[in-house]
Amino acid sequence: MNPKAVSYPQLLGIFGCLALALIAHVAAIPPWVLATVALSGALRLLLARRGRPAPPRGVRLVIAGFAIAMLFLQLRTFNGLSAGTALLALMAGLKLLETDSQRDIYVITLIIYFVSLSALLQGDSFWLLAYLIGVCWLTTAALLRLTTTLPAPDWRRCISYAGRILIQALPIAAVFWLFFPRFAGPLWHLPDDTRTAESGLSDTMSPGDIDHLALSDEVAFRVRFSAATPPPQDRYWRGPVMHDFDGRTWRRSHSASPIAPPLQALGPAFRYTVSMEPHRHYWIFTLDWPSHWDLPGAVLTSDYTLMQREPVSRPVDVNTVSYTRVQSSAPLSKLLRDRDTRYPSDRNPRSVQLAQTLRSTHPDDLEYVRAVLSMFTRQPFYYTLTPPKLTDNPVDAFLFDTKRGFCEHYASAFAMLMRAAGIPSHVVTGYQGGAFNRFADYWIVRQSDAHAWDEVWIEGRGWIRIDPTSAIAPERVEHGLNDADPSSADEPLASLWHRRTPWLADVRLRLDALRQIWRERILFFDPDSQQQLLEWLNIPEPDGHKLVIVLTAALTLVLAWLTWLVRREADPAPAEPLIRAYVRLCAKLAAVGVTRIASEGPEDYAVRVALRRPDLGSAAIALCRYYSSLRYSGATAGITLGQFEAAVRAFRPARAAKPPRASFSTPQDSRGS
Amino acid sequence: MRQAIRNKIRAWSARRHGRDVLPIKIHRRRVYILPTRFGVMLAMMLVAMLLGALNYNSNLGLAFAFLLMSVALVTMHHCNRNLLGLHVDVPAEVDAFAGREATFEFVLRNDSSVERRDVEICCTTAAGLGSVSARAVEVIPVVIPAPRRGVVRVAQFELRTRYPFGWFHSWTYVQGSLTAYVAPAPRGSRTLPAASGVGAEYRSESRGEEDFAGLRAYEAGVPLKHMAWKVLARGGEPAVRSYTSSAAQPEWLEWSSLEDQDTETRLSQLCLWVLESHAAQRVFGLRIPGTEISPARGAAHRVACLRALARYGTAEPS
Repeated sequence: MNPKAVSYPQLLGIFGCLALALIAHVAAIPPWVLATVALSGALRLLLARRGRPAPPRGVRLVIAGFAIAMLFLQLRTFNGLSAGTALLALMAGLKLLETDSQRDIYVITLIIYFVSLSALLQGDSFWLLAYLIGVCWLTTAALLRLTTTLPAPDWRRCISYAGRILIQALPIAAVFWLFFPRFAGPLWHLPDDTRTAESGLSDTMSPGDIDHLALSDEVAFRVRFSAATPPPQDRYWRGPVMHDFDGRTWRRSHSASPIAPPLQALGPAFRYTVSMEPHRHYWIFTLDWPSHWDLPGAVLTSDYTLMQREPVSRPVDVNTVSYTRVQSSAPLSKLLRDRDTRYPSDRNPRSVQLAQTLRSTHPDDLEYVRAVLSMFTRQPFYYTLTPPKLTDNPVDAFLFDTKRGFCEHYASAFAMLMRAAGIPSHVVTGYQGGAFNRFADYWIVRQSDAHAWDEVWIEGRGWIRIDPTSAIAPERVEHGLNDADPSSADEPLASLWHRRTPWLADVRLRLDALRQIWRERILFFDPDSQQQLLEWLNIPEPDGHKLVIVLTAALTLVLAWLTWLVRREADPAPAEPLIRAYVRLCAKLAAVGVTRIASEGPEDYAVRVALRRPDLGSAAIALCRYYSSLRYSGATAGITLGQFEAAVRAFRPARAAKPPRASFSTPQDSRGS
Repeated sequence: MRQAIRNKIRAWSARRHGRDVLPIKIHRRRVYILPTRFGVMLAMMLVAMLLGALNYNSNLGLAFAFLLMSVALVTMHHCNRNLLGLHVDVPAEVDAFAGREATFEFVLRNDSSVERRDVEICCTTAAGLGSVSARAVEVIPVVIPAPRRGVVRVAQFELRTRYPFGWFHSWTYVQGSLTAYVAPAPRGSRTLPAASGVGAEYRSESRGEEDFAGLRAYEAGVPLKHMAWKVLARGGEPAVRSYTSSAAQPEWLEWSSLEDQDTETRLSQLCLWVLESHAAQRVFGLRIPGTEISPARGAAHRVACLRALARYGTAEPS
């Protein structure tokens, strides 16, 4: 039998590892690919169980060609992470089919490692990393069983040995990870992967959009203020701004000019870092109104929303400066004014009528705004997450019939009333408020914090934020959604629990704090963090060169540690101090050219030393004699162990001018001479 | 080409370390290590992983790639460790017959607390494989085929291992000369030249130092162990078993007595005779051109004779 042939248990182990690695990809790989992998693995295992070899080459080639063609037809490309991973998985599956020798299994282990890595390139959670390290551990243990030609040790011992190697590797990996120079950008273009689904706000807003979000506990982003935190009534997180209104739905304007009218700051600046979760849209949420940001390629639109050139498909951190009090003395351009005063005149006739009536009694813009707001306060408007369904003229129906709604109803109706009175206005969507995590000093903004409000243009002051919802339920602005509706029937179930059991909320906050640490320290460890690390190590003027030097030094240290560890295990120092001293003596003599032969006793050795190096002879003979008397005649030695050790330490044999080659000296030649 | 490079490395290492006197302890300065083909594949994959992770700016990907790199580094040390500090001993001379195998029994002693798995010992073309548990001694036989009569010298042997993962190949050369004396295959049709009185049937019954010759009458002073108790038990006269000592008649196994045959046939015949004479506990001498071994008996004598036959016609000194 071929000794390199693979046995059934070996196959089973390695197939199991491949399956575990592919689990991390279940969402990204087409199901039929996974099915193919599972099928060919099962087929091969069945054959192995019966002691039969792999199917013939022709069959395998046909299957492989067919499967790869199928994959290409489906994905249209092999470029990109998802497609590449799918291809890799398929190839691993087909490799399973032909696995016959050790070499094939080696190839499969490499594929397992690579598939694990590609999962990590797409994911970012601690658990994913831990899981894949576990997979890598098992794979390595399977490899251990595979390599050995002797009867393999049992699984438990293999796993514990692979674990030992993994643990010894951790410090080295940590050094690499900390000090290996990072680059700011990608080395080459990254193909876009559409893996994450869109989430959060969208670029349209119609009644019923945001209240869906209100039920979601998902985190939209986190914010850490570097100094002062703005007061609650100023914590509006700006998202997409809606300009075009068709009577029901608000849309982002596509004719927007990219230049934002300049703003003058009136109040203090707030510095903070927004940690965005991927949401597949272009915008970055910032505190109203952003003025500086450190995201390359991001621009501020004419309505002050920060936009990235590509969708936010991976977590991203943006350092931003915002002012909560601004004004704009420049006049509004005609283009922008037209954009924000347009409304469909054939719909919502009662609302238009109402606007014109109110406007006639309040010619001043600000007066008019106040009149509309007081209408919301005085009339029985209700705030509810389950408003009745609205008909063809939703603004009319809301204002005059149902009078029940959520922020989007109020924002939509208010903007419509403004436009009908000729006041430029638009709807801003975003988030409002957020929960403070007192364990780690940052704010968590969840989807349930999603909000919509309005901005109106007042000549001489610029855009002014009006939140009509706060006219109905002022508590909402102060405390967030959970306290707004006492019935609580529509709250996210999770938040309900947390409100009833405070310790659970604490646990959740602590977990979130850990996640944030993970994100800041691990996911976003970048050249800046490395620089800070070097500064922390008291290295003056840290730069790339110094980083490489530190990397080299740290690697040297940790590898020296490893070498020491391994050597000590392989060649333990004798426990007895006397023997240790004798070994040291022999090492000193070996260094000057007379190596003790394993079979040589101390006295013979000393004689040989004397013959080779007459100058060292007497000392060597004396020391060796002391050693043997200490070792064999005990108390009568005439010298104590301490004295012997000191004598060995003091013994410094000089090198001979031309030391004879130690390795050629054998007992025969020395005794013969 | 590859063989030439390998030979160069061997010669270089022989120059570097000089001759070794067994037993030796494997010192780290003589253990070499290189990646295997699979190790090179792994290294290429690691580079690809590193580039990928850097490109995606993925710190988790980097962490994983670095972890695998470090595992490879640790594995390198463990592969090296698998040989480090082992004590190696082997009997320098073994005997064999042509057409059979010569077996060198390597004794590996492991004083450390870590197991040494999959240690392979290679002598020329043959190899033996074994593991040595922590603080244990293991005998690993290396079986060298011995198709022809003569002297097989192994100037150097190699200990190597690919444990734990087959990514690295660690090895050491030991310059210890091992000798296998391959005696001729014992065969031939001639009877022993001095077949005087002692036939094959007696030889098969031989026990002790002397050969049973028959019974004689009891005399006082005969050792009790020589009494023929069975005869007495049957009711016969007390009798004593008598033995003839073959030491009295030394015999010579002569090359010259086989003149009409070719060399190897002669040597095979002589070898058979040596074995037969030894088995018969007889005193015999061996005389072949260039060598004369004076009559004696016992295991050492047998070995000396067989080695003389193995050496015949080779350049080996006697």
